[in-house]
Amino acid sequence: MFEELSQHILDIAMNSLSADAKQIEIGVVESRRHDRLVLRVRDDGHGMDADTLRRVLATSASTKRSRRKAIGLGLAFLRQTSEMCGGRFAVRSAPGQGTSVTASMRLSHIDRPPVGDLNATILALCAAERKTTVQLTYHSDGEKFHFDSRELATKGAVPL
Amino acid sequence: MNLEQLKKLKEKAQKQIALREGGKKYRVVVGMGTSGVAAGAREVMTTMLDEIEKQSLGSVEVCVTGEIGMVDAEPMVRVEETGGEKTVYGKVDIEGARKIVTEHLQKGKKVQKLAVGQAKEKE
Repeated sequence: MFEELSQHILDIAMNSLSADAKQIEIGVVESRRHDRLVLRVRDDGHGMDADTLRRVLATSASTKRSRRKAIGLGLAFLRQTSEMCGGRFAVRSAPGQGTSVTASMRLSHIDRPPVGDLNATILALCAAERKTTVQLTYHSDGEKFHFDSRELATKGAVPL
Repeated sequence: MNLEQLKKLKEKAQKQIALREGGKKYRVVVGMGTSGVAAGAREVMTTMLDEIEKQSLGSVEVCVTGEIGMVDAEPMVRVEETGGEKTVYGKVDIEGARKIVTEHLQKGKKVQKLAVGQAKEKE
């Protein structure tokens, strides 16, 4: 299991890279008022058909099966974390339409892992695939932060 | 997580991008599958990126791969010399990640203690 939610995010976004995503949008929303934390990873990769999607969602976290298939364990981990913390988990995907993974949890739930080092997750993703645009939007009770890897490419003196 | 930390992200990412250009002598591949991340591969990667930046090693490229199939040896790092040898390191921790940069990538000396499947070849 992961100790931080940002590790879940990295894990899910690695799936996006495997699906040849050109753009990955990561969203983290923390709301004390609604006692909610929502994570979303959305990509424009090649997506999954209904069968694959059903299989992914039905996968239990059985370690024996997971060694044969790369698909399964990561999403199952996130699902487990979110459901354990009083939240919901959903995956939307269709062939050619990308994939969107959303996990919510109760912000104040005692088992909710810390968000952790989002910077490390984004830096690892940017280094992993330089042609893919990585975006992060972080909201926390009115405060907002936005990161877009394309800004780095245009602002800096170094062309990509 | 706080916003102050996040604000440093842009600056940091910019610096690391600046090191991407030019000819590369080494390619470093970090296993970032589910088992890798769970074992700490992300911290290994960011440590290496930091160290590479600190020492301005422009001749090193860092990238990632998914599961390699040696789950018990994660976090794993493979160092590939352009047109040459490939060295696989296993159970790499933060200290090990620094060592790989300072010894292997900078001085060209393998870190035997961490190497996987290399020992027999040497004997």
